[in-house]
Amino acid sequence: MVEIDEVWKRYGRQWILRELSLRVKSGEVVALLGPNGVGKTTLLRVIATLIRPQRGVVRLFGKSSKRIEKERGWINLVANPPAFYRHLNGQENLRQSLALAGKKSADEAIYRAMEEMQLPPDRPVSAYSSGMRKRLALARALLLQPRLLLLDEPETALDSNGRDKLIDVIDQVARRGAVVLATHDRGFAETVASRKVQMRGRV
Amino acid sequence: MRSWVLALRDLRLELRGRAGLLSAFSFIAVVLFIMGIAFGPDDANLRRAGPGALWVALAFAGSMLASRAWAIEVENETLDDLLLTPGSREWIYAGKMLFLWILMLLMGLFLLVLVAAWFQLPLERWPQLLVTLLLGGTGYTAVSAFYAGLTVRLRARDVLLYLLVFPLILPVVLAAVKATIGIAFGADFAEVVSWWKLLGVFDVVYLTLCYLLFPAVIEG
Repeated sequence: MVEIDEVWKRYGRQWILRELSLRVKSGEVVALLGPNGVGKTTLLRVIATLIRPQRGVVRLFGKSSKRIEKERGWINLVANPPAFYRHLNGQENLRQSLALAGKKSADEAIYRAMEEMQLPPDRPVSAYSSGMRKRLALARALLLQPRLLLLDEPETALDSNGRDKLIDVIDQVARRGAVVLATHDRGFAETVASRKVQMRGRV
Repeated sequence: MRSWVLALRDLRLELRGRAGLLSAFSFIAVVLFIMGIAFGPDDANLRRAGPGALWVALAFAGSMLASRAWAIEVENETLDDLLLTPGSREWIYAGKMLFLWILMLLMGLFLLVLVAAWFQLPLERWPQLLVTLLLGGTGYTAVSAFYAGLTVRLRARDVLLYLLVFPLILPVVLAAVKATIGIAFGADFAEVVSWWKLLGVFDVVYLTLCYLLFPAVIEG
């Protein structure tokens, strides 16, 4: 599903990823572990095709990452913190995400996802707490049904109930695809990941 | 279809936030007030300055709105989500351009009324003024939406936007001013049409180039 071969990525003069290779198969939940600044978020963004590495090959779903257009919709990245339009409410944000992804925007499905994540549908996102935004991002992931879910420090700001829902979403996606997550929490990685990868600038 | 969804969503966000619209309308009021003082109170002078005042105000306020079209994504950190949508990315440009185009036309209409009242711009040939606004506004938004997208990730994007956009839109603004002068001061219809043709060519060239080049420039 994800094939990364000898990828190099730098910002300015500093190399963040050096000769990094990684394979993620369907059904796997891979946890990227490592200290701050080691390149976990950069690697997630490379996989999401949001940034291009200076060297190396990235293949997704069996195709070069430069040639995926339709398949880009199979990827969902939950950033830390997750991004939403603050002046829109949770429901409107989800409706927009579905419409822009070219998917049918079923109000009932959106309502169910919001209810499952215990979120108020009419409150603007600017009034959401960090944990609620994380839950909204999980609701979006549920609705978009990605084959590859990328999570950047997903457990932060979530209470125990939120963590349970996060684990549930990870399980659901892993059944039809794969999950790559970056975390500092070794205990959380032990709970959810089928494989842990320790990053030191290279894997 | 997705372009319309994006444009309508941006309009809704802009109407709820109002930051861009308020600053653009305040800017227009200040420009017209200063130019009115500078060229008035002589009626003939004011009438001569009217078409220039209209397009100067529209061009600068348009750049502010172009920057705003992309600032929505920067402020909400949602650019990545847009880029992760499936399919080629031309539709993102089309959506942002549509958003800007609608705002520019609304602002242009508002400006026409203001300039007609303040600078005594004659509105007898108003359908021709609307065509000029439409053609000039299209060329302007095609270029400014493109460059605003190109500079969206840069820290000095607002300064760069003016530097990049104005040399390119100068022919559009000049042709639009000339057409407006012709309409206001009773020039032959054929002369006005010749400026429209020029504007039409710029519109087609800029729209086509910007639409095709956009996916390459928005890559991270």
